[in-house]
Amino acid sequence: MTILSRRRLAVAVALSTALLVSACSGGDGKEQASADELTVMAPLFGTAPDPNGELQQAVEKQVGTKLKITWVPNAEYGDKTNVTLASDSIPDLMVVNEKSPAFVKAAEAGAFWDLTGKLDKYPNLKPADEQTAKNSMVNGKTYGVYRVRPLLRSGIVIRKDWLAKLGLQEPRTVEDLYTVAKAFTERDPDGNGKKDTYGLIIPKWPGGYGSASPYDVVETWFGAPNGWGERDGKLVPGFDTPEFLAANRWLKTWIQQGLVNPDFATLDSGNWNDPFVQGKGGMIIDVNVRATQLLDLFKEKNPKDFDKVTLVGNLQRADGQKFSYPFTGYSSVIAVSKQHIRSEDQLDQVLQALDKLESKEGSILLTNGIEGRNFKADGKFAVPVNQDDPKVKAIQNDVDKAFIQLGTRASVGLGAYQLRPADPASRAMREKFDVLMAEDLKTAVFNPALGVIAPTQVSKGQTLENIVPDARIKYLSGTITEDQLKAQIKRWYDAGGTQIAQEVNDLAAKAGG
Amino acid sequence: MATDLVPEVVQPAAGSSRQASPPKRKRPRRPVPLWRELFRYRWLYLLLLPGLVYFVVFKYLPMYGLSIAFKDYVPFLGYSGSQWVGLEHFRELFTGPDFGRLMFNTLLLALLTIVFVFPAPIVVALLLNELRVNVLKRSVQSLIYIPHFLSWTIVASLTYLLFSVDFGVIANWIHGLVGGQKVDYVAQADWFRPLIVLQLLWKQTGWGTIIYLAALAGVDSQLYEAARVDGAGRWRQFWHITLPAIRPTIVVMAILTSGHLMDSGFEQIWLMTTSLNRDVADVFDTFVYYIGITQGAFSYATAVGLFKGLVGVLLIFGSNWLAKRLGQRGLF
Repeated sequence: MTILSRRRLAVAVALSTALLVSACSGGDGKEQASADELTVMAPLFGTAPDPNGELQQAVEKQVGTKLKITWVPNAEYGDKTNVTLASDSIPDLMVVNEKSPAFVKAAEAGAFWDLTGKLDKYPNLKPADEQTAKNSMVNGKTYGVYRVRPLLRSGIVIRKDWLAKLGLQEPRTVEDLYTVAKAFTERDPDGNGKKDTYGLIIPKWPGGYGSASPYDVVETWFGAPNGWGERDGKLVPGFDTPEFLAANRWLKTWIQQGLVNPDFATLDSGNWNDPFVQGKGGMIIDVNVRATQLLDLFKEKNPKDFDKVTLVGNLQRADGQKFSYPFTGYSSVIAVSKQHIRSEDQLDQVLQALDKLESKEGSILLTNGIEGRNFKADGKFAVPVNQDDPKVKAIQNDVDKAFIQLGTRASVGLGAYQLRPADPASRAMREKFDVLMAEDLKTAVFNPALGVIAPTQVSKGQTLENIVPDARIKYLSGTITEDQLKAQIKRWYDAGGTQIAQEVNDLAAKAGG
Repeated sequence: MATDLVPEVVQPAAGSSRQASPPKRKRPRRPVPLWRELFRYRWLYLLLLPGLVYFVVFKYLPMYGLSIAFKDYVPFLGYSGSQWVGLEHFRELFTGPDFGRLMFNTLLLALLTIVFVFPAPIVVALLLNELRVNVLKRSVQSLIYIPHFLSWTIVASLTYLLFSVDFGVIANWIHGLVGGQKVDYVAQADWFRPLIVLQLLWKQTGWGTIIYLAALAGVDSQLYEAARVDGAGRWRQFWHITLPAIRPTIVVMAILTSGHLMDSGFEQIWLMTTSLNRDVADVFDTFVYYIGITQGAFSYATAVGLFKGLVGVLLIFGSNWLAKRLGQRGLF
């Protein structure tokens, strides 16, 4: 009987494994020769490209191997990443948030190549910026090639015509900002005789604490650390500082006085632009690119009169000191899976292919498209051409909505042509980005703990993650008092935060020294 | 699933007669060897086979995956490579800060469902049954079960459109009637449970009536005629004929519902959760999704799910036992 049941168990195991494998990878259990075909997973911002499309073929020619790309809509990318990590078919190359617990666990178990020190051989994969390279590490290890983003993208988008109508200046300090918000709310900037506008628009934020939400940016203006900061020689989470409380106290008065959209806790972040374009609200604190987005939306509405948007950089606090909120300098990394790429030789082949993809020619393909088909070069600019041809339109779509995500240097135009803005207003706005970034970079507050991730964060982070951001929203909406907010911060410490803080300190000391 | 129960409930005679037949046989013979028994009814067993295979492959084999609840599962290492940690994840769940809140929220929602949502189809079915105009009855029935076919995403969007503080039609209307400060129904924790119950009522009531109406249709009309001859009024007929007729159906539905008490309806809750109401909104279902899929803590999520499933099984057995104790026919 025992033999029988053991055999049964074996059959069951074999069957279930077979099912899992076949369900996940379409039945090929065999070793894959990495040189012939590379499987890739990357985020998608629109409709997925045709695998036989012109652009993909051009990219494959550039890389020298076939590519089998799984495009995943950006909104569900995080979930899909975790599901993929749990499956039996991890793509060879994967755009992934290297700080997510599931990835850290998988990488530490050996599912991904540790690329520390291996990238310098490849001219196009070598980290260009030391700070960013450090930011993208996980406890001193590099698990992927980071995708460059501008380091300082935070800013305030403001209705220019409203400012002009009310005779207001662009704000330079947080006090100015309050004045503008109050005027936008109470002095009828749209001139319809009704009090139906508000100053600032905030959506329901999808990320947690320190995820570049408007709240995080404002807290930094007040001098709170960005994520983690040094106090008395120790690293503490940014929400455990008086500046954090001061910033939120200030924001709370905004909300009490109706200067913020009343549905700030539920407004879908996908609809963030709507109230702005509809003339309900007059300011958005977000990445600078939102300014050009909004400009385009106004242009769609009325091509004759759309220059209604201005962009302001980070603000000084009341005592004249200025702290700017920087981003990490990158967005996700491209990691190399060990599932099919087993040997150092194979890894070298894959990295060579990736290096070709990120070369100047590759970057142009990923950022601009195919020269002569959908754009032509004009100095350092790319000018779109033949856009009425549906085939060319498809190339343009594939570039903008998908392939640009495979570029590690592409999205900011490094090694590729810049897109020439279509009208003077957009051009001026683009130029403003660089000016503001250079200016704000001088006062950027960096997160000293970005490169480390505490083991407790990996194992228990899920129960802790929402405590502070939820409490912050509740405090702002008036559901809880400041004392209760402080109690929630204490709860974070008690539920495992103390341990995380300890580990972060230890790891950061090790990484720094 | 629910509809295939109807014949069994409406015609209890079929089952009982089959049960009654064996004693009629003559004295028990020597037991027939198993293989001969199998051979004699081979075609029947052959018919059984596909169903059996289906259940084994799709329902029982995957249960092997539950073992990761007792492991520190890292997918790359696989089932066999991951380390056993015993009951560690369960300990973490039971002692963790979330457990009490999850349990309370889940049970309270379950209680609200029992009190408000479960009886609603019964009441509506009984009311519809009293309608004598058939056209009206049919059209009302069709109209109220249409919402069942809308996805929760649509229901949640509708709720948002109707109750949002900024532009919600109903919210503004209530504000106009009552005055005072505007209430943010969608975001506020106090309004979370009422909204959930309202959504459930709106979406599921009509669909739920189908099964009760089917049971009511099976009631012998001679019973009513006889009662009328004996001078029973409408109320008496309702009390002594209609209600007893659907009582078995109600009991079976209640037992089945009890097994799903811990299922709070993942989609609905997830879509309605905000930072402001998370404390009351978090239930086991959303928690499993959150830590398993969003956070990638597969083992912990499995442990939570397993616990939930066990409670569900216990509840089924418990309510079945209770039904029998109360003199009703149970489910098994």
